[in-house]
Amino acid sequence: MDFLNSYIVLAEIYVLLALSTNLLVGIVGIFSVSQAAVFGVGAYIVAALLMGNILPFLPAILLAALCCVALNILVTLPSLRVAGDYFVVTSFGIQLLATAVFTNWTEGTGGANGLPGIPPPAILGFEFDSTGQFLLLSSAALAIGCLCFWLIMRAPFGRLLRAIREDEMAVAAAGKNVLRAKVGAAALAGALAGIAGGVYGTFLSFIDPSSFDLDASILMLTMVVVGGARTLTGSIIGPFLLLALPQLLTLVEIPSTIAAAMRQLIYGLLLIAFMLFRPQGLAGERL
Amino acid sequence: MTPYLEATGINKSFGGLQALRDCSFTVEQGRITCLVGPNGAGKTTIFNVVTGFFRPDSGSVAFRGRKLDGLRPQAIVAAGVARSFQNLRLFDDLTALDNVLVAVARQFAEEPLGAIFRPLRAAREQRRATERALEALEHVGLAAQAREAVRNLSYGERKLLTVARLLATGAELLLLDEPASGLSAGALDAIMTLLRRLQSEGKTLLVVEHNTRVVQKIADQVLFLHQGHLMAQGSPAEIINDPQLAEIYFGGAI
Repeated sequence: MDFLNSYIVLAEIYVLLALSTNLLVGIVGIFSVSQAAVFGVGAYIVAALLMGNILPFLPAILLAALCCVALNILVTLPSLRVAGDYFVVTSFGIQLLATAVFTNWTEGTGGANGLPGIPPPAILGFEFDSTGQFLLLSSAALAIGCLCFWLIMRAPFGRLLRAIREDEMAVAAAGKNVLRAKVGAAALAGALAGIAGGVYGTFLSFIDPSSFDLDASILMLTMVVVGGARTLTGSIIGPFLLLALPQLLTLVEIPSTIAAAMRQLIYGLLLIAFMLFRPQGLAGERL
Repeated sequence: MTPYLEATGINKSFGGLQALRDCSFTVEQGRITCLVGPNGAGKTTIFNVVTGFFRPDSGSVAFRGRKLDGLRPQAIVAAGVARSFQNLRLFDDLTALDNVLVAVARQFAEEPLGAIFRPLRAAREQRRATERALEALEHVGLAAQAREAVRNLSYGERKLLTVARLLATGAELLLLDEPASGLSAGALDAIMTLLRRLQSEGKTLLVVEHNTRVVQKIADQVLFLHQGHLMAQGSPAEIINDPQLAEIYFGGAI
């Protein structure tokens, strides 16, 4: 039971990340491969605030979300000047930079050893201690994330973002501010990733740079591609499916030493296969 | 009296190519002005300069006495000047209605906070915007195709859709880049009737057009552009019957 619950909690956290990635990559067409960096910053900020007894959980995660909003706007800004493929390179650099900071800033992040002993979250005296209790928290975060995504996609803002992906020049000629809309999308994507980070760190009570590296960014992209770009359903299916994969692999008799490599291999194959044969994913639109 | 639209001494170069040289002209309110000239004369460059997509190297553009050069495209649309594109630039994955809705001016919840925290107001105002967009579609005769994806529309319908999108911006001066090119005879008549009707409803039109028969039918005033410079202006008959201009236009001496 605990095993299943912890799978659901993790999948729900990754749904928030898939929504964040889907918003930028799927809807606006800003091909970011640095969402894991923002995810990590959210996790480290919440961890530091809780471990230092500086703020309770809710204010801490809000502060982390705000920092990630600012950070994501900052790292997305190059996309306003550098288009398409060139932005991928820029974003790639940002991700490498973040990994280097997470790994080497030992005082702040614990370096490669990570930060152990992050206290469990508590809201108004109620501690989310067991996995079952934690499921309530992550489900609430998931519900809020999905609601925000859904509200945005049915509002004029969502339409504007979709139009920007198709033709920025036509959007400007229609009298709309492309820059402001992109900043809005980046802000929202940052908040989602930051909140996911805070929930993730307090759930595992331990974080290290390996959760926030380029592989993690690519995993988020894979979730969006497999689930389906630009739809809420796609962002939910993707994480649940891809995170079930390692669990299924444990049923097959393979040595644990190659299990991790197998997982990466399968993720990579899935990404290629979907891009080639089903670019709209399971429940989405063509990327 | 200040001219309606006035461009003064505009120069614009791309590397070694001078697209516009000391180009000056005016457009009068309530009229259809056609911009003609051979390929490469700088017609589209003028559109790009007037609507803020290119910054002129020198010279200025004023609309109702207000300086436009240096403003961003969205500010120029808000001032009342909007343009269409020769290659249409429609949002192909969106429906016809959504294409027009994107252009409806001053909508609520065009940013995330309004969309998330005031969803009821967003939905209410959305209905009003949708009405406006449907009106624009009806105006160009595409009401029945509102829910169609753009890729399912014919070329003529797409051209009409770009006009509907222009109307939704609420702009009063419309710059149309070759609205009649590539159309069948029937579609051609439809678009000419539409342009005339827009004029009678108070819009002012500046139209790039190659087809001399179309120019003769719709233009009140013709501006003849050659090598980035205004070479002549006058009534359609004056311009079209000028043998020297015809020589330039039909590829004689350059």
